[in-house]
Amino acid sequence: MTELTWQRTSLLTLGFFVAKEIRQFVRNITNFIPVLAVIFVTDNDWLPYAVGGGYLVFIVISAILNHHFFLYALTDDAVHLRTGVFGKKSLTLKYERIQQAELDQTWYFRPFNLTILRVDSAGSAGKEVEIPGLPIALAQDLRQRMLAQAANTNHSTDSESNTGSVDESAQHIDLQRNYSLREIVRAGIMDNKIFVLLAVLIYPLSQTDVLEEQLVPWLEANVKFIEQSLWLNVGLVVTALVVLFTFAIGVTIASYYNLQFTIANQRYQARSGLLSIRTVSFRYHKLQRVRIKQNLRARLLGRFSARVSQLQPSAHAQQQGSAGAFVLPVLTQAGVDELCHWLQLPDRSTVPWQRISSIALLNPSFWVALVAPAVAVVGYFKWQPPLLGLVIGALVWVLLQAYTVARWQNYGYVMTEGWLGIKRGVFGRIESWYPLYKTQQIDVYQSPWLRLLGYADVIVYTAAGAQVIKYQPAEIAFNLQREWTATIANNRQRWM
Amino acid sequence: MTIAWKPVEPAYKTYLQLIVLIDMSILALIAIGLYLFSPSTDWLPNPLWLGIPWAVLTLFFGLFWSSRRFQFTAYASTDVSMHLRRGALWRLTRAVPLNRIQHVEVRQGFIERLLGLAHLTLYTAGSGGADLSIPGLKLATAETMKAELVNTIAAEPVSDSNDD
Repeated sequence: MTELTWQRTSLLTLGFFVAKEIRQFVRNITNFIPVLAVIFVTDNDWLPYAVGGGYLVFIVISAILNHHFFLYALTDDAVHLRTGVFGKKSLTLKYERIQQAELDQTWYFRPFNLTILRVDSAGSAGKEVEIPGLPIALAQDLRQRMLAQAANTNHSTDSESNTGSVDESAQHIDLQRNYSLREIVRAGIMDNKIFVLLAVLIYPLSQTDVLEEQLVPWLEANVKFIEQSLWLNVGLVVTALVVLFTFAIGVTIASYYNLQFTIANQRYQARSGLLSIRTVSFRYHKLQRVRIKQNLRARLLGRFSARVSQLQPSAHAQQQGSAGAFVLPVLTQAGVDELCHWLQLPDRSTVPWQRISSIALLNPSFWVALVAPAVAVVGYFKWQPPLLGLVIGALVWVLLQAYTVARWQNYGYVMTEGWLGIKRGVFGRIESWYPLYKTQQIDVYQSPWLRLLGYADVIVYTAAGAQVIKYQPAEIAFNLQREWTATIANNRQRWM
Repeated sequence: MTIAWKPVEPAYKTYLQLIVLIDMSILALIAIGLYLFSPSTDWLPNPLWLGIPWAVLTLFFGLFWSSRRFQFTAYASTDVSMHLRRGALWRLTRAVPLNRIQHVEVRQGFIERLLGLAHLTLYTAGSGGADLSIPGLKLATAETMKAELVNTIAAEPVSDSNDD
């Protein structure tokens, strides 16, 4: 083994360590609730500043220490890391074991032509390693080498590194699509996080009484005209919502600006970003699930969004949620067809969707039938005139029942060409496709109620989550389980 | 292909009954503690209101539930897959293809050790711990099964045809 040459990342990466520290702080914010409580309760003027200042100093010092003790070494077949201020950690990651290697050009590194290399390994513990502040050329070269080794392809690692451009231009590109700003704006409208944002804002506000005790009196004192007109109030609220809506579109634009989707040599890659450029990619044989989504707004715009999941090795990565997933946020019908063609999905327009038995309606209908009379009875005694209660009860029943039936009608599953497809959704639509041979386990589940009816639920566990196919006749369910298990077991293809 | 279900050891029923007894006695101890040590017992109902349901539940779980669960619990292994069924009223039948197993584990809890039992757990990827766990095996059986499984998995041919 050759002697390792330990390197320290450049000084510029201090910012990265600070950012990491802050991210950790946000993630563990609940641990600091006692501290926050002290700050809120105390009458002391300087205590909040002392705590805040102390924390800032802590962040800076720990970032400097972490930077100082972060050492990496690159050899021909592995990355070595030595980290830790007090507890030392040494990590060797073989290229051949690497699942995923991505480059993250964050905004604070872009001016310096530096980048972050993020590496994921296989295995249940799932080590995620980030090396910040690598020169782009080196990082690209490294990433190529890792992926080439991981795929066992005998790509002679191109020694001349193509400076500047992130494209793997040495390879033949099968498909390349660029998405215009207009499309990204559409994506922003479809995938609007406004409600999430509202919830995030409202929760802490509702906890601290700031709203009632300070904001409302302030508004009443300073903005007299608010009370004068109802329409003005409505206008204000609408304006606020519009601003938030636009802001949310802005967030989407920032993350998906200049989205470029390429397929080259079985590798699917999406590269985008206004300030920080992110590259997310996956190799075809790692694919575990394709999800094609269309919410109500998307249906009005005639667009779809698609997400491809692969095995998430660590619980950590699963928590991060969307961060590592391969997402195309806006696709036309033609775009979806094209993607499906490249992913070798069955032709979605002609697949024979199967409905589940209408027995499935029995259970939800029962609960709906229980809710509606309850509403009617309560309304009958509470409201004037009493008949109103009955009418509303009946209306509630009709609406809920219609929704139940529509849900059942829109649900479908299909097993064709080795893919398991499931579609559902009344207003929005979600279609999930799983390569069946990558399934991990199959359950048949029977509650006493299902046993009484002679039905069973089939639950298919894949590496990208579980899917339930409800209300199969018991006999058929057990046969499906046996059949599919045998098919999977006799398939010798690599599944991850 | 029919599946030849193998029952688990009869000691498993004893194991379930012991678990029920322990859980129920913990509940009883909490309740007794409450009645003995709380300063005023006015707000508590007559002990019989709790005692009778407790006795009924203990009898239900100790006699009916545990024997039903023992009866239904069974496993089966074919050349290519492992099957397990468990549950008493809510029933689950699980199948795992052998070529999806990530690792295999034999475990013995404290009570299991008293009864000479062990359970064998097969882990698959991505399911977040919801894996196939066969309870109520003799330790020796579990060890043999584990060895066999590990051998089968190691001998598995993998084609790289899909690789590129």
